[in-house]
Amino acid sequence: MKKVNWKNWLLAGILIPSLAACSTSGTSSNNAGDSDYPKKSITVVAPSGAGGGWDLTARSLTKVLGETKLVDQTMTVENKPGGGGAVYLAEYATQHKKDDYKLYVNSPPILINNLKKEGNSPYGYKNTTPLAQLTKDFGAIVVKEDSKYNSLKELMDAVKKDPKSVTAAGGSAPGSMDHLVAVLPAYKSGVDPKTVKYVSYDGGGEAIAALLGGNADYIATDASAVGEYLKAGKVKVLGISSTERLKGDLAEVPTFKEEGIDADFTIWRGIFGPKEMSDSAKDYWAKTLKDLNDSKKWQAELERNGWEAEFKDAEEFTSFLEDQEKQVEDLLKSLGMNK
Amino acid sequence: MGVMDFLMQGFQTAIQPENLFFAFIGVLIGTAVGVLPGIGPMSGVALLIPVTATLTGGMEPSAAATSSIILLAGVYYGAMYGGSTTSILLNTPGESSSVVTTLDGYQMAKQGRAGSALSIAAIGSFAAGIVSIIGLALLANPLSEMALKFGPAEYFSLMLLGLAAVSGLAGGSITKAWMMTVTGLLLATIGIDAVSGVARFTYEIPVLFGGLEFLTVAVGLFALGEVFKTILHKEDDQERVAKVGRVIPSRTDLKESAGPIARGSILGFFIGVLPGAGATLASFFSYIAEKKLSKTPEKFGKGAIAGVAAPESANNAASGGAMIPLLTLGIPGSGTTAILMGALIMYNVQPGPLLFSDHPDVAWGLIASMFIGNLMLLILNMPLVKVFAKIIETPPKYLLPIIIAISVFGVYAVQVTTFDLYLLIGFGLAGYLLAKNDYPLAPLVLGLVLGPMIENNMRRALTTSNGDFMVFIENPISAIFLVCSVLWILIPFLLKLKGKNVVVNVEG
Repeated sequence: MKKVNWKNWLLAGILIPSLAACSTSGTSSNNAGDSDYPKKSITVVAPSGAGGGWDLTARSLTKVLGETKLVDQTMTVENKPGGGGAVYLAEYATQHKKDDYKLYVNSPPILINNLKKEGNSPYGYKNTTPLAQLTKDFGAIVVKEDSKYNSLKELMDAVKKDPKSVTAAGGSAPGSMDHLVAVLPAYKSGVDPKTVKYVSYDGGGEAIAALLGGNADYIATDASAVGEYLKAGKVKVLGISSTERLKGDLAEVPTFKEEGIDADFTIWRGIFGPKEMSDSAKDYWAKTLKDLNDSKKWQAELERNGWEAEFKDAEEFTSFLEDQEKQVEDLLKSLGMNK
Repeated sequence: MGVMDFLMQGFQTAIQPENLFFAFIGVLIGTAVGVLPGIGPMSGVALLIPVTATLTGGMEPSAAATSSIILLAGVYYGAMYGGSTTSILLNTPGESSSVVTTLDGYQMAKQGRAGSALSIAAIGSFAAGIVSIIGLALLANPLSEMALKFGPAEYFSLMLLGLAAVSGLAGGSITKAWMMTVTGLLLATIGIDAVSGVARFTYEIPVLFGGLEFLTVAVGLFALGEVFKTILHKEDDQERVAKVGRVIPSRTDLKESAGPIARGSILGFFIGVLPGAGATLASFFSYIAEKKLSKTPEKFGKGAIAGVAAPESANNAASGGAMIPLLTLGIPGSGTTAILMGALIMYNVQPGPLLFSDHPDVAWGLIASMFIGNLMLLILNMPLVKVFAKIIETPPKYLLPIIIAISVFGVYAVQVTTFDLYLLIGFGLAGYLLAKNDYPLAPLVLGLVLGPMIENNMRRALTTSNGDFMVFIENPISAIFLVCSVLWILIPFLLKLKGKNVVVNVEG
């Protein structure tokens, strides 16, 4: 019996401080104007396990909103893994569509899962209220340092000549983000994307291992993840899916457009509310998230995580999502993977 | 500076009072995390990141990074230590890497040798920890280069060898073992296929998209299966309450475990270095290897101490080995190392090719602290063995609800879906019925672990070779593994044809 008590005690020891660290109990005045939202604690759901990009975004968001006292209610992060986010979205779109106190973090998979044929999620961003885009990242096309390809154009010419001779790899399943980034330049260079040999690994780390071990000719991955390998001289980055050159380690790397490939792809991360969110809650988050983006603490948090700042308010974000949806649909269609 | 100078410097960092304190807290929490099923090393480390961030708030960035990674790594290998405890005492694996420990550990506990089993697990883990630290200090760079060379074809053949060796996990009948393996492989196909993105056997039910969770299946089969058995066979239960027995292992026990510990440590370390292979696979492989090497393989599954010593050493060594690709390449080989990597990045320390030159204090401080942490774990765990082992004396009417509660809580903590709880009960019933009819459970679990890896790597290899199967033979390392797997299956058959009595096939 002693054992059980000991275990409970330890478990509490693990859970309580970590919950406390993500929450706040400040009592300063809020920014909600005349609305009395929020009246109780708010939950931000990361539809993945602990440690991934969505989880980190949700945790950073709640931490900074608490520290800056922009939100005076307790904010907690809940992890709801499954189906690349699709599992929780189904619950969110049906059971919580009026719950102003549940927010949801996601990125391009919310579009992709809804549009692709296999493993399709019947729900998409239209079943939510987009509140704001918080950060952005880009896709990068990367080859090994001793690769014979020195530019994206050379690589794409080789793919064009014989798609069978070049192996692409990425850290996510076909029809998901890395695959789309890997075939995007080929597609825009006039190659039938279905012929591109794409090998999927479990996560970006394994994909980089495959590249360094000579088991893939090129990989598509997040631009923020390759800087260190570039600095160490282990890889060459041939192109970035941004519209303008990036700063920092990747400043020397051309964009797809500079390489004559008319394509761009943004890996955004944003926060969503329920479909039937009340107007007072919408107004509250519009103001709060804007204040958040203006705060120094949030900018420092972004930098610490290696994320690029890009803020879009609800309206801009929604129209951006409409554009993105078209692009993703187009690409999936060309792969024969649309629903 | 040579390796020794760096290591000495590392020890200087590690023996600073605050770092000793962090290492102690880390291994203590890690042990608890290992004992509790569900709270695995991955969620344990993730939950502690914000805590360490607060604790190290006022320190220099580089020192703060060192201290917190010392704590978090302590949780990681501490969990590997603790994972054995519930496997041995309650037949409830705390981590997936301790599943195979239940086979002999629980039998030992039933025979009143729980004390020996627990202490040999602790000693084996300690020895393995030391082996892996020495390996880490000396071999980090050459090994990381070699691990990279392991492509899909090599992985496929290695996993196939694992499957071919399934006879090593068989109880009475090889045929039944193969049936269970195939069932495991079939169950492993549920979910969205990682290579093609096609949904298989999901029936449009979102909870099935991710497939069946390994831990749910293992806890159901082993722990709940045992619970059902105890409830339904109440009358045999009177004499089952065994004495704890001695805590310090006997001379024979030590002699019998020395070899398995040494081999388990070395095998575990090398498997740990391969990204994606991990501690679970290491424990299975070392168990199978020991059974094959043993002069008395019929004792395995009935409380052979080697069957506890080898896998427990291997899973601990693997956690050390997994640090190599993480620190030298920035490639996390498992979920837990991915979270450790996230924690390092939070402190602006980027694991990867530049870590040892940019932040030698962090890298070597960590290695040295792992040495100290392992020593702490041994000192911490040996006295606790007696306390833990008392559990076995608890009457079933208290023990069974505890096992059920731990299983349900643990599975829910990982999966957070009620679906997994139904699955848990379903597999509990299945575990009871299968075990009652002498179907071995471990091959099913192994099939479930290896299924997706075998399949994905085979298809990756074939995609790369444009569908040419020769890729598995042309590749020398892969060819060696394939030859070994064929021999593994053929030799017992050939010997049998010659009229020899083959232990592997007729044991009962």
